[in-house]
Amino acid sequence: MSAETEWKFAPAYELPHWSFVLPPDLASGGGERIRYPVVITGGGLAGLTLACDLALRGVRAVVLDEDDTVGVKGASSRGICYAQKSLEIFERLGIYERIRQKGITWSVGRTFSGKDEIYSFNLKDESHSEQPPFINLQQFYLEWFLVDRIVELGGTDLRWKNKVTAVENEADGDAVVVHVETPAGNYSLECDWLIDATGANSKIRDAMGVEVNASRSTDRWCISDVRFKVPFAVERWTWIDAPFNEGRAVWQHLMADDVWRLDYQMAEDCDPETISKPEVAGARLREQLGPGVEFELVWIGPYQYRDHLLETFRVGRTMFIGDAAHVVSPFGARGGNNGIQDAANLGWKLALVLAGEAGEALLDSYHDERYAAAKENLTITKRTSRFLAPRSAAEHRLRRAVSALARRHEFARRLSNTGRMAQANDYPPSRWAWGGARSVQNVAFDGTTLMRCLREGTRFLGVAVGADAAELARLNALSARWPVDFRSVDAASPLATHLGAAAGTVVLIRPDAYVAAIVPAAMAGSTSVALRAALARDEAMTRAA
Amino acid sequence: MKTHANIPDADGFYEALLRAHEGLSDAESNDLDARLVLLLANQVGDQTALLECIEEARRKPASG
Repeated sequence: MSAETEWKFAPAYELPHWSFVLPPDLASGGGERIRYPVVITGGGLAGLTLACDLALRGVRAVVLDEDDTVGVKGASSRGICYAQKSLEIFERLGIYERIRQKGITWSVGRTFSGKDEIYSFNLKDESHSEQPPFINLQQFYLEWFLVDRIVELGGTDLRWKNKVTAVENEADGDAVVVHVETPAGNYSLECDWLIDATGANSKIRDAMGVEVNASRSTDRWCISDVRFKVPFAVERWTWIDAPFNEGRAVWQHLMADDVWRLDYQMAEDCDPETISKPEVAGARLREQLGPGVEFELVWIGPYQYRDHLLETFRVGRTMFIGDAAHVVSPFGARGGNNGIQDAANLGWKLALVLAGEAGEALLDSYHDERYAAAKENLTITKRTSRFLAPRSAAEHRLRRAVSALARRHEFARRLSNTGRMAQANDYPPSRWAWGGARSVQNVAFDGTTLMRCLREGTRFLGVAVGADAAELARLNALSARWPVDFRSVDAASPLATHLGAAAGTVVLIRPDAYVAAIVPAAMAGSTSVALRAALARDEAMTRAA
Repeated sequence: MKTHANIPDADGFYEALLRAHEGLSDAESNDLDARLVLLLANQVGDQTALLECIEEARRKPASG
């Protein structure tokens, strides 16, 4: 490597800034505390997705963010791979088209050892959705689009430069009190439900004394966001042991604006400051790109990954979502995507509980389902971490064996693990979904799509497979008592096929596009029973309804 | 996990295994063993049997 590698930085991204507005709590002169149904602290991916989801459901949330812009550490690309389930959620929220136009759509991944390709996958093979398996986009763009959409929808109280300093529960457990610091002074507010989306270092969580179960890896990486024009394939390329990175791992991904995201694995004993100096990063790039390729640096920074999993995602009237609840190593894009899916899991439940259409116990299902997902993601990403950073001579030896065999044999390719890409996790059997719940893709059918069917209001979709007019009318009678709409689809329709549902059955799809139950159409009673469970309604509520 | 005698020509197999290691350094021998383990694991293809084999192999040999 030449020590005199030339480098230059691209002009910095200009991120949007939103103004601080005097909150009504301060404007009123600080008399009685105002009470709100939902307060979200933290305007990152998870918090903003939830605010947007709630806005569409007619729930006016207050969002408290200590900053006045999007992005973390300036315009670092941060979370860049958005998975199909997230993209389907954004389709429902109304920002998918903007993401598609700005971002980079991909479905093929390749893994290299040295100069040889040893494994590849094409996620399109398993896709039946209107959305692609993945789109890459710098995280700050996504947060930006979410803020724009929330503003456009109206109803949400986005409070910039409002920093939460303390949280306490009312003695009777009937409300959460949040103390807030702003440039115009301090105030306190009350809420029915507090959502902590303040990220990995949440102070709210720590103050509540929730067990975090954290661990830190010694594996070190350097992120380089770089603009250059080389016709590399628009695919996910990973090297287990790249010749241009001293035999360590490398990631290569294209994002918006011709900016490539390159993650370089560094020596464990490296100095993080040195490896992220522009001249050092520039030299690494020159080694990879070869002479004569012009490039400009956009953002460079080191990271050392960590993980944690809260023992509970719900404490009374407080729910933890996104990085505040769980952090996994970045392999396979299971961080941001799961924050987004936390929000989508919680949004409809909060809306129905607030509307009195679901029992409060339904909020426990948020913990049950998303904790199970986070735990699964933690197991999967830990396996990848260990493959990428062998801890002993024996682990190195086994990995060499995998790479050597993978060059010749299909079975060994499956052992090579540079990340298992995020998928919508199945949820385990529970009292809300006896058979467990699995995600339904955004299938196009009968001139519409599943997401279009789920966009309006907060209602289940009952897919009555092969139902005739009389059966449909019988089912529709349930719509007066339950938040559900029914549609008849042909047994041969793409939706019925994707659901694997036979004629004569009703598939109850939740507002977050998970199957709650499959019941026989002839038994309207069993549909009610399944809905009562899926909504955690008790007997009294059901009678009142 | 099968523990009854299941290799038709046990002595022949053992001899072939020793031959495979002839002339190799310790490092090369270790690498060969690792490749062999993975190849054999794929022949077994039974998760329960594989995990039981790992467990059994981890047992410290009885002294003597």
